[in-house]
Amino acid sequence: MAETDYSSADDPTLVRNAQAGDLGAFEELVARHRDKIYGRALSMMRNEQEAIDLSQEAWVKGWQRLNQFQGESSFPTWLTRIVINLCLDQLRKQKRRQAESIEALDEDAGGVERQMPVVMVNPTERLERGELRQRIDRALAQLSHEHRTVLVLHEFEEMEYKTIAKTMDCSIGTVMSRLFYARRKLAALLADLKKEN
Amino acid sequence: MKFRITSPAGPGWLAALFLLLAGALTTATAKDLKFQAYLVWAANTDKSPDPRHKPVEEEVRRKLRELPLRWSNYFEVNRVTFVVPEGKSGTASLSEKCKIEVADVNGQHVEVSLIGKGEPVLKRTQPLAKGKMLVLGGDAPDSTGWLVVLKRTD
Amino acid sequence: MNAEQELKLQSFLDGELPEAEAREVAAWLARDADAKALHSELRHTRQALKQSEPNALLPESREFFWSKIQRDIARLEPTPAATPAVSPFRWLRRLLVPTGSLAALALAVLVAGGQFGWFSGRLAPATETAMANASTFTYHDEANGTTLVWVSFPAETEIAQPAAN
Repeated sequence: MAETDYSSADDPTLVRNAQAGDLGAFEELVARHRDKIYGRALSMMRNEQEAIDLSQEAWVKGWQRLNQFQGESSFPTWLTRIVINLCLDQLRKQKRRQAESIEALDEDAGGVERQMPVVMVNPTERLERGELRQRIDRALAQLSHEHRTVLVLHEFEEMEYKTIAKTMDCSIGTVMSRLFYARRKLAALLADLKKEN
Repeated sequence: MKFRITSPAGPGWLAALFLLLAGALTTATAKDLKFQAYLVWAANTDKSPDPRHKPVEEEVRRKLRELPLRWSNYFEVNRVTFVVPEGKSGTASLSEKCKIEVADVNGQHVEVSLIGKGEPVLKRTQPLAKGKMLVLGGDAPDSTGWLVVLKRTD
Repeated sequence: MNAEQELKLQSFLDGELPEAEAREVAAWLARDADAKALHSELRHTRQALKQSEPNALLPESREFFWSKIQRDIARLEPTPAATPAVSPFRWLRRLLVPTGSLAALALAVLVAGGQFGWFSGRLAPATETAMANASTFTYHDEANGTTLVWVSFPAETEIAQPAAN
């Protein structure tokens, strides 16, 4: 029996076949979107092994819940939501109170971000894309996971405040404060990196 | 059903047959199997915290780098050379907690048993020709890994 | 500028304000240099992020990553009970009559058969059993002459700590 060639099928076709039990079609979806799902997990967890494990778990959950996917969003977007929730669950479980409490103190103390001088010059101007990516990556790594998460969800997942609030299980006010702090901190870090170079 | 062997030479003929068979047994399967087993620690750090651990030899390093493993460095924790007599088994103790047993199944296949802390962990039967390698591995703490590398060298 | 104003500026940037409020903020930006500077900073940061989402590649091969997912999916699904294999040598055992000479002859046939590969083809290419609380999956690299068997069990299991040896 000839093997089906899935590489030329579009996502909706693969999803339909996978929903009918075709594991080969699902494997093609994994191959196509595994980097995106892994990348999202990595940007949240900042740990390669955890990102691999969580993205693997997301795919398995995706298979289990495939019949719940009705095409309201694209398939990779739907699966990204699954990996985001897995990452958030994992972050909640992990006892990173030390790092969180320092950041929380910064916020609670009347907003240290309000004391930061405004960065007047665009610190990323004239940077090549690769170098910009590296600097952003280095700067993101220095944020707490909660501030990084709110940035990832808003800037990369393009979620609205209320969706982020629901996803992170906090108030819209908290989302706004964290986003503001994260952006200001990132601007300062990028300005520092520009000075270093 | 009964069988009766009759021969004009009597028991002498039978003895000769046994001798021939014994000869066949020793010459037909005289080849012992020789192996090298390595216990390897896989990590992305440049040096092992244990100064006794050196990077694995180049051939092993090259083959491990071809595998879909996420580490860039491999350190030899221990290496044992051992022989498995034809039709029998041999054991290599790689650490206090890790042992590998290799049994010759038919000269082409080997049965490899990995034993951890005295308990069997894995048993695998497969062909393993000269120059080929079997790598057993798993995750270790702090995002590192452990590998048992079995190379046939006869 | 107080905290509430700053957050309103951010909401304006993110398109989260109702139209009337958005118009007020736009007018405020036109006359207030400090507000304009802060808005500019927030905008640059936002643009930088949008342009430079880190481009990670999953550091495992397609086959290896898929084999783990496939194994986990298989675990979710009930498997039929395995039927016991019938020994290919059962027919031969029946013929081994307990007289020394005939047994020797049968042994000779077996030895010769092994020597000439009569029976070797009956062994499967590879078989595996994982014990304890482990599960495994296999990757074979024909060109490299290497087979990798990955054993999954808790990382704190002591076999997994050769560096502490």
